[in-house]
Amino acid sequence: MKHNSFYIFFLSFFIIGFLCVNAQEDEEDYSIYDDFELENDTPIKRYAKPTISGMSPQKFIGISFDAQMPYRYEFSNVTFPESAGNGFDVDEENPNINEQGTAKFTGGLRFNTNIPIISKSSFVWQSGINFMDTRYTIAEAPNAPRQPVLLPDGTQARSLGQILNEDGLRNINWTNTFFFPLNETEFIVFQSQMDLSGNYDLDTFQSLNTLRYSAAAVYGRRVNDYYRWGVGVARTYRVGNLNYVPVIMFDWTSENRKWGTEILFPARAYVRYNFSKNALLLAGFDLEGQSYRIDDYSINGNSYEIRRGEVRPKLEFQAKITGYIWASVQAGYRWDWSYDADELDANQDFFRGFFGNQEFGMVNSLENPLFFNVGLNFVSP
Amino acid sequence: MKNTFFLLAIFLFSFIGNAQDADDIVGVWEPGHGKAKVKIDKIDGKYYGKIVWLKEAKDPATGEPKVDKNNPDESMRNVPLRGYRILKDFVYQGDGVWEEGTIYDPENGTTYSCVITMKDENELDIRGYVGVKTFGRTDTWRRLILKKK
Repeated sequence: MKHNSFYIFFLSFFIIGFLCVNAQEDEEDYSIYDDFELENDTPIKRYAKPTISGMSPQKFIGISFDAQMPYRYEFSNVTFPESAGNGFDVDEENPNINEQGTAKFTGGLRFNTNIPIISKSSFVWQSGINFMDTRYTIAEAPNAPRQPVLLPDGTQARSLGQILNEDGLRNINWTNTFFFPLNETEFIVFQSQMDLSGNYDLDTFQSLNTLRYSAAAVYGRRVNDYYRWGVGVARTYRVGNLNYVPVIMFDWTSENRKWGTEILFPARAYVRYNFSKNALLLAGFDLEGQSYRIDDYSINGNSYEIRRGEVRPKLEFQAKITGYIWASVQAGYRWDWSYDADELDANQDFFRGFFGNQEFGMVNSLENPLFFNVGLNFVSP
Repeated sequence: MKNTFFLLAIFLFSFIGNAQDADDIVGVWEPGHGKAKVKIDKIDGKYYGKIVWLKEAKDPATGEPKVDKNNPDESMRNVPLRGYRILKDFVYQGDGVWEEGTIYDPENGTTYSCVITMKDENELDIRGYVGVKTFGRTDTWRRLILKKK
């Protein structure tokens, strides 16, 4: 009996105590916190956040496989305008077709990283190494161009179809992105990128003096949690050859967070639909490209480069698999913007723009197939 | 006997000293964006922080007090943000560091792992991260005190 009374008393004590604590918490007078302020009067600088609400998750590490459906190609004669120096170039309007064939498969593994090095309210620096392997399976007679490919010294070289079939193309780049918030609204984004692109193997690396440099700077305003815009300029290889282009950023999310845009034109532009917090659909396009050095044709100290640029209108579905691992599936159309070639003087690139009259080394065309891409990403939601 | 007493005294003092360090985090803090005030309390040996003040207390769309409308758990979406515990389960590790806790971001409804480091008595570095600490972002919170009237 004694024991029972003790237990009842003990239990009552805890129940009453628990209720009191909760009552205290529920009835807390929050108005007292109006009078809390910083200890000293030094003004606090507030900073714009580097994202807005509702955007697709930021990818820290990603691995994907990209595949294009079969397509026909036509490659012109291989000419060496820089080595020959005598106007020995390709007729841009009606190039002599030297190779025709079908690429049964184009694609390969892609590995992307974007690691926060410094990530504070006042400054963000993210850095990443990215690798893109593009393998080709050429169906028809890659060894049979209409005319053999002859270098200026008369040596016979492999045809481009044969090179693609045997070596493929690779790109490794190191990208650094810096986000500088100026205040609560304004920010500047600066991105720099170094690319090494060519038909090299990973065990016989390409010379580092063939590195190509890209950069972009954007001034933006984060108007509110649902909208930001920016304008800037970029030096880019996204259409294959070197270009200087304006950049427009326009990220927006509807108030119900279902719809939005993620635009960094011309690199990419999407309309976004969020099915839920864990699944979304992007519809839009990517602009992809690099300048790939073809080692076989790079003679006399020059660099012979395929200016591969492609527009990829696509649908991309992203969904959470577990934790911070998300899957992505893309399907779209690979539209050939450029697959022409330039012979660069001593690895020095040039800007042709709309009005440049530099002669092409090759003028090539590709049919436009469907493409698919599946990937896994480690993300920050 | 004297030695035993001396050692016991050192032990007690060091324990009290540690306890004081651990409780330095208790108080009212302002996140870097300045849109809220968060009160950190000690409950059963762990540290928790709840929103006690919002710069914009009412949802402009409804005119009602703001609720946790982005919570992935639908049953929580009507819970008022004021009073919401966004810091949970922090344990003092020594050297001005609290770990093993989480931080909830009401703006996107995501809960991140979190480590809190006291820079000085009036500033905390709050680092929310996914997986490992590398994949995160640090925000600086500042201590608030009751205004003298």
